Amino acid sequence: MKNPAREKFLPMLSPYVDGELTPEERQLVEQHLQNNKESAAQVADLRAGDGLMRNALEMQADEVDWKKFSEDVMARVTPEKLPLFERLKLTFSEMFTYQRGPLVAGLVGAVAAVAIAIPLTISLMGQAPEGYGAGRVEVQTVSVDTEATVKPVVFETESGDAVIWVVDAPEKKDGGRKKGGSDEEDIAPAPPEELKKQDL
Amino acid sequence: MTTLPRRCLLLAAFTFASAAFANGPVAVQADVVFASTAAGKVDPSLTKMQETLGAKVKYLTLEKRSSQKLQVTNRGATVALPNGKVAELTLEALKDGVATLRVKLPPTDATYSLAKDKSFYLQGGGHEGGDLWLVLSQPK
Repeated sequence: MKNPAREKFLPMLSPYVDGELTPEERQLVEQHLQNNKESAAQVADLRAGDGLMRNALEMQADEVDWKKFSEDVMARVTPEKLPLFERLKLTFSEMFTYQRGPLVAGLVGAVAAVAIAIPLTISLMGQAPEGYGAGRVEVQTVSVDTEATVKPVVFETESGDAVIWVVDAPEKKDGGRKKGGSDEEDIAPAPPEELKKQDL
Repeated sequence: MTTLPRRCLLLAAFTFASAAFANGPVAVQADVVFASTAAGKVDPSLTKMQETLGAKVKYLTLEKRSSQKLQVTNRGATVALPNGKVAELTLEALKDGVATLRVKLPPTDATYSLAKDKSFYLQGGGHEGGDLWLVLSQPK
Protein backbone atom coordinates (compact mmCIF):
# COMPACT_ATOMS: atom_id res chain seq x y z
CA MET A 1 0.00 0.00 0.00
CA LYS A 2 1.39 3.30 -1.05
CA ASN A 3 1.90 6.05 1.48
CA PRO A 4 1.45 9.40 -0.32
CA ALA A 5 3.46 11.28 2.29
CA ARG A 6 6.39 8.88 1.96
CA GLU A 7 6.17 9.14 -1.80
CA LYS A 8 6.42 12.89 -1.42
CA PHE A 9 9.38 12.85 0.96
CA LEU A 10 11.29 9.94 -0.55
CA PRO A 11 13.34 12.07 -3.02
CA MET A 12 14.29 14.38 -0.15
CA LEU A 13 15.74 11.74 2.15
CA SER A 14 19.17 11.47 0.52
CA PRO A 15 19.62 15.28 0.27
CA TYR A 16 18.52 15.43 3.93
CA VAL A 17 21.29 13.04 4.97
CA ASP A 18 23.80 15.01 2.87
CA GLY A 19 22.69 18.29 4.47
CA GLU A 20 21.57 19.81 1.20
CA LEU A 21 18.07 20.88 2.22
CA THR A 22 16.90 24.31 3.22
CA PRO A 23 16.01 24.79 6.90
CA GLU A 24 12.28 24.72 6.05
CA GLU A 25 12.57 21.53 4.00
CA ARG A 26 14.73 19.99 6.72
CA GLN A 27 12.08 20.76 9.33
CA LEU A 28 9.34 19.18 7.16
CA VAL A 29 11.42 16.06 6.59
CA GLU A 30 12.15 15.70 10.31
CA GLN A 31 8.42 15.91 11.07
CA HIS A 32 7.82 13.25 8.44
CA LEU A 33 10.50 10.99 9.90
CA GLN A 34 8.89 11.18 13.33
CA ASN A 35 5.65 9.86 11.85
CA ASN A 36 7.00 7.39 9.33
CA LYS A 37 9.22 4.59 10.64
CA GLU A 38 9.96 3.27 7.15
CA SER A 39 11.44 6.57 6.05
CA ALA A 40 13.33 6.86 9.34
CA ALA A 41 14.83 3.42 8.77
CA GLN A 42 15.81 4.39 5.26
CA VAL A 43 17.53 7.54 6.57
CA ALA A 44 19.38 5.37 9.10
CA ASP A 45 20.51 3.09 6.29
CA LEU A 46 21.67 6.04 4.21
CA ARG A 47 23.71 7.39 7.17
CA ALA A 48 25.23 3.99 7.79
CA GLY A 49 26.18 3.74 4.13
CA ASP A 50 27.73 7.19 4.24
CA GLY A 51 29.71 6.20 7.31
CA LEU A 52 31.02 3.08 5.64
CA MET A 53 31.91 5.01 2.52
CA ARG A 54 33.73 7.68 4.59
CA ASN A 55 35.71 5.08 6.50
CA ALA A 56 36.72 3.32 3.32
CA LEU A 57 37.86 6.59 1.73
CA GLU A 58 39.76 7.64 4.83
CA MET A 59 41.57 4.32 4.89
CA GLN A 60 42.51 4.79 1.26
CA ALA A 61 43.64 8.34 1.98
CA ASP A 62 45.83 7.18 4.84
CA GLU A 63 47.73 4.93 2.48
CA VAL A 64 48.72 7.87 0.29
CA ASP A 65 51.82 10.00 1.09
CA TRP A 66 50.54 13.59 1.30
CA LYS A 67 53.86 15.15 2.23
CA LYS A 68 54.50 16.76 -1.12
CA PHE A 69 50.86 17.27 -1.99
CA SER A 70 50.81 21.05 -1.50
CA GLU A 71 54.18 21.49 -3.22
CA ASP A 72 52.98 19.47 -6.17
CA VAL A 73 49.78 21.47 -6.38
CA MET A 74 51.62 24.78 -6.14
CA ALA A 75 54.11 23.62 -8.71
CA ARG A 76 51.26 23.04 -11.10
CA VAL A 77 49.55 26.32 -10.19
CA THR A 78 52.75 28.43 -10.60
CA PRO A 79 55.00 26.41 -12.85
CA GLU A 80 57.69 29.13 -12.80
CA LYS A 81 58.56 32.13 -10.63
CA LEU A 82 57.43 35.45 -12.06
CA PRO A 83 60.06 38.06 -12.94
CA LEU A 84 60.76 40.68 -10.28
CA PHE A 85 59.02 43.46 -12.17
CA GLU A 86 55.91 41.33 -12.64
CA ARG A 87 55.91 40.38 -8.97
CA LEU A 88 56.25 44.02 -7.92
CA LYS A 89 53.54 45.00 -10.34
CA LEU A 90 51.27 42.30 -8.95
CA THR A 91 52.07 43.28 -5.37
CA PHE A 92 51.32 46.95 -5.96
CA SER A 93 48.23 46.05 -7.91
CA GLU A 94 46.94 43.96 -5.02
CA MET A 95 47.92 46.62 -2.48
CA PHE A 96 46.17 49.28 -4.51
CA THR A 97 43.09 47.09 -4.82
CA TYR A 98 42.79 45.80 -1.28
CA GLN A 99 44.73 48.36 0.81
CA ARG A 100 44.09 51.55 -1.06
CA GLY A 101 43.47 53.69 2.04
CA PRO A 102 46.71 52.93 3.91
CA LEU A 103 48.68 53.05 0.65
CA VAL A 104 47.40 56.49 -0.30
CA ALA A 105 47.91 57.75 3.26
CA GLY A 106 51.47 56.45 3.25
CA LEU A 107 52.25 58.08 -0.09
CA VAL A 108 50.79 61.40 1.04
CA GLY A 109 52.84 61.19 4.24
CA ALA A 110 56.03 60.44 2.31
CA VAL A 111 55.44 63.33 -0.10
CA ALA A 112 54.78 65.68 2.82
CA ALA A 113 57.94 64.53 4.60
CA VAL A 114 60.04 65.11 1.48
CA ALA A 115 58.40 68.50 0.91
CA ILE A 116 59.37 69.55 4.44
CA ALA A 117 62.80 67.91 4.53
CA ILE A 118 64.20 69.35 1.29
CA PRO A 119 63.70 73.08 2.08
CA LEU A 120 64.80 72.47 5.66
CA THR A 121 67.99 70.77 4.53
CA ILE A 122 68.74 73.52 2.02
CA SER A 123 68.10 76.13 4.71
CA LEU A 124 70.38 74.39 7.21
CA MET A 125 73.13 73.92 4.63
CA GLY A 126 73.18 77.61 3.82
CA GLN A 127 73.08 78.68 7.43
CA ALA A 128 76.28 79.66 9.18
CA PRO A 129 77.14 77.52 12.19
CA GLU A 130 76.98 78.99 15.67
CA GLY A 131 79.46 81.82 16.05
CA TYR A 132 80.24 82.29 12.37
CA GLY A 133 77.67 84.95 11.61
CA ALA A 134 80.18 87.55 10.38
CA GLY A 135 81.09 87.97 6.75
CA ARG A 136 84.80 88.41 7.33
CA VAL A 137 87.34 87.75 10.03
CA GLU A 138 88.12 90.87 11.99
CA VAL A 139 91.10 91.12 14.30
CA GLN A 140 90.03 93.20 17.27
CA THR A 141 93.12 93.31 19.45
CA VAL A 142 96.63 91.98 19.13
CA SER A 143 99.67 92.31 21.35
CA VAL A 144 102.91 90.57 22.17
CA ASP A 145 104.73 89.98 25.42
CA THR A 146 106.53 93.04 26.73
CA GLU A 147 109.89 91.26 26.66
CA ALA A 148 109.47 90.03 23.14
CA THR A 149 111.64 91.38 20.36
CA VAL A 150 109.01 90.80 17.77
CA LYS A 151 106.03 92.74 16.59
CA PRO A 152 102.71 91.61 15.17
CA VAL A 153 101.59 92.69 11.74
CA VAL A 154 97.98 92.14 10.82
CA PHE A 155 96.64 91.71 7.33
CA GLU A 156 92.99 91.33 6.59
CA THR A 157 92.59 90.07 3.05
CA GLU A 158 89.94 91.25 0.64
CA SER A 159 88.47 87.77 0.66
CA GLY A 160 87.77 88.08 4.40
CA ASP A 161 90.63 86.11 5.96
CA ALA A 162 93.05 87.55 8.50
CA VAL A 163 96.76 86.95 8.94
CA ILE A 164 98.96 87.85 11.87
CA TRP A 165 102.64 87.84 11.08
CA VAL A 166 105.23 88.08 13.77
CA VAL A 167 108.20 90.07 12.54
CA ASP A 168 111.43 91.08 14.20
CA ALA A 169 111.33 94.42 15.99
CA PRO A 170 114.78 95.17 17.38
CA GLU A 171 113.86 98.75 18.31
CA LYS A 172 110.56 97.74 19.82
CA LYS A 173 109.62 99.62 22.92
CA ASP A 174 105.93 98.89 23.25
CA GLY A 175 104.89 95.31 23.87
CA GLY A 176 101.64 95.63 22.01
CA ARG A 177 98.72 97.81 21.22
CA LYS A 178 95.22 97.84 19.95
CA LYS A 179 94.48 98.04 16.30
CA GLY A 180 94.77 101.59 15.09
CA GLY A 181 98.42 102.21 15.97
CA SER A 182 100.74 103.63 13.34
CA ASP A 183 104.37 102.56 13.66
CA GLU A 184 104.43 99.42 11.62
CA GLU A 185 105.71 100.66 8.28
CA ASP A 186 109.37 100.71 9.31
CA ILE A 187 109.47 97.00 10.04
CA ALA A 188 106.89 95.37 7.86
CA PRO A 189 107.44 94.82 4.17
CA ALA A 190 105.13 96.62 1.82
CA PRO A 191 101.81 94.77 1.71
CA PRO A 192 100.70 93.29 -1.56
CA GLU A 193 97.85 94.87 -3.48
CA GLU A 194 95.43 92.06 -2.72
CA LEU A 195 96.05 92.37 0.99
CA LYS A 196 94.62 95.16 3.02
CA LYS A 197 97.09 96.26 5.62
CA GLN A 198 95.91 97.11 9.07
CA ASP A 199 98.13 99.44 11.02
CA LEU A 200 98.86 98.44 14.54
CA MET B 1 66.71 67.53 53.45
CA THR B 2 63.57 69.64 53.59
CA THR B 3 61.77 70.81 50.49
CA LEU B 4 62.84 74.45 50.59
CA PRO B 5 66.61 73.90 50.79
CA ARG B 6 66.32 71.26 48.09
CA ARG B 7 64.54 73.70 45.81
CA CYS B 8 67.15 76.37 46.53
CA LEU B 9 69.90 73.90 45.70
CA LEU B 10 68.23 72.94 42.44
CA LEU B 11 67.75 76.59 41.53
CA ALA B 12 71.39 77.35 42.26
CA ALA B 13 72.50 74.37 40.17
CA PHE B 14 70.27 75.45 37.32
CA THR B 15 71.56 79.02 37.50
CA PHE B 16 75.16 77.83 37.55
CA ALA B 17 74.55 75.51 34.61
CA SER B 18 72.88 78.30 32.63
CA ALA B 19 75.80 80.62 33.28
CA ALA B 20 78.30 77.93 32.38
CA PHE B 21 76.70 77.23 29.03
CA ALA B 22 75.71 80.79 28.19
CA ASN B 23 78.70 81.18 25.87
CA GLY B 24 79.20 78.45 23.36
CA PRO B 25 80.68 76.12 22.79
CA VAL B 26 81.82 77.18 19.35
CA ALA B 27 83.30 74.60 17.03
CA VAL B 28 86.67 75.60 15.59
CA GLN B 29 88.89 73.75 13.17
CA ALA B 30 92.47 74.16 14.38
CA ASP B 31 95.20 73.15 11.95
CA VAL B 32 98.92 73.41 12.61
CA VAL B 33 100.81 73.90 9.38
CA PHE B 34 104.53 73.73 8.77
CA ALA B 35 105.60 76.22 6.12
CA SER B 36 108.98 76.53 4.49
CA THR B 37 110.44 78.41 1.60
CA ALA B 38 112.50 75.35 0.73
CA ALA B 39 111.27 73.33 -2.21
CA GLY B 40 108.84 70.65 -1.17
CA LYS B 41 105.27 69.55 -1.36
CA VAL B 42 102.20 71.64 -0.77
CA ASP B 43 99.25 69.90 0.76
CA PRO B 44 96.39 70.27 -1.77
CA SER B 45 94.10 71.50 0.98
CA LEU B 46 96.54 74.33 1.70
CA THR B 47 96.72 75.96 -1.70
CA LYS B 48 94.44 78.79 -0.53
CA MET B 49 96.78 79.40 2.39
CA GLN B 50 99.72 79.42 0.01
CA GLU B 51 98.00 82.05 -2.11
CA THR B 52 97.02 84.14 0.90
CA LEU B 53 100.51 84.16 2.40
CA GLY B 54 102.25 84.05 -0.96
CA ALA B 55 102.00 87.76 -1.47
CA LYS B 56 104.46 88.22 1.37
CA VAL B 57 106.37 84.97 1.59
CA LYS B 58 106.57 82.40 -1.16
CA TYR B 59 106.20 79.22 0.80
CA LEU B 60 107.09 76.22 -1.33
CA THR B 61 106.38 73.65 1.36
CA LEU B 62 103.15 73.49 3.30
CA GLU B 63 102.43 70.46 5.42
CA LYS B 64 99.59 69.96 7.82
CA ARG B 65 101.15 68.73 11.05
CA SER B 66 97.96 68.40 13.05
CA SER B 67 94.29 68.97 12.56
CA GLN B 68 91.62 68.94 15.18
CA LYS B 69 88.12 70.12 15.73
CA LEU B 70 87.80 71.95 19.01
CA GLN B 71 84.79 72.92 21.04
CA VAL B 72 85.86 76.27 22.38
CA THR B 73 84.14 77.66 25.45
CA ASN B 74 84.96 80.41 27.90
CA ARG B 75 86.92 77.77 29.79
CA GLY B 76 89.35 77.54 26.90
CA ALA B 77 90.91 74.88 24.72
CA THR B 78 94.52 74.25 23.79
CA VAL B 79 96.47 73.29 20.71
CA ALA B 80 100.02 72.00 21.01
CA LEU B 81 102.55 72.94 18.35
CA PRO B 82 105.54 70.79 17.39
CA ASN B 83 107.94 73.53 18.51
CA GLY B 84 106.78 73.17 22.09
CA LYS B 85 104.46 76.15 22.12
CA VAL B 86 100.87 75.78 23.17
CA ALA B 87 98.09 77.90 21.79
CA GLU B 88 95.25 78.68 24.13
CA LEU B 89 91.86 79.47 22.64
CA THR B 90 89.12 81.05 24.69
CA LEU B 91 85.64 82.12 23.73
CA GLU B 92 85.44 85.77 24.75
CA ALA B 93 81.93 86.52 23.56
CA LEU B 94 79.12 85.22 21.45
CA LYS B 95 76.84 88.01 20.36
CA ASP B 96 74.37 88.19 17.49
CA GLY B 97 75.70 84.93 16.12
CA VAL B 98 79.26 86.21 15.96
CA ALA B 99 81.83 84.65 18.26
CA THR B 100 84.92 86.46 19.46
CA LEU B 101 87.88 84.26 20.20
CA ARG B 102 91.02 85.06 22.13
CA VAL B 103 94.11 83.24 20.95
CA LYS B 104 97.22 83.25 23.05
CA LEU B 105 100.21 81.82 21.25
CA PRO B 106 103.35 83.20 22.90
CA PRO B 107 104.42 85.83 22.38
CA THR B 108 101.24 86.87 20.58
CA ASP B 109 97.88 87.49 22.17
CA ALA B 110 95.02 88.33 19.81
CA THR B 111 91.26 88.48 19.73
CA TYR B 112 89.29 88.14 16.54
CA SER B 113 85.76 87.49 15.36
CA LEU B 114 84.93 84.32 13.48
CA ALA B 115 83.42 84.43 10.01
CA LYS B 116 81.74 81.87 7.84
CA ASP B 117 84.13 80.01 5.53
CA LYS B 118 86.99 82.35 6.47
CA SER B 119 90.33 81.56 8.06
CA PHE B 120 92.51 83.15 10.67
CA TYR B 121 96.25 82.59 10.28
CA LEU B 122 98.59 83.13 13.20
CA GLN B 123 102.32 82.68 12.89
CA GLY B 124 103.45 80.35 15.63
CA GLY B 125 107.23 80.68 15.51
CA GLY B 126 110.05 78.86 13.83
CA HIS B 127 110.46 75.14 13.47
CA GLU B 128 112.88 72.92 11.53
CA GLY B 129 114.09 75.82 9.40
CA GLY B 130 110.59 76.98 8.56
CA ASP B 131 107.57 78.48 10.23
CA LEU B 132 104.65 77.01 12.07
CA TRP B 133 101.23 78.49 11.48
CA LEU B 134 98.08 78.05 13.48
CA VAL B 135 95.13 78.13 11.11
CA LEU B 136 91.72 78.55 12.69
CA SER B 137 88.63 78.16 10.58
CA GLN B 138 85.08 76.91 10.44
CA PRO B 139 84.95 73.13 10.68
CA LYS B 140 84.12 71.45 7.38
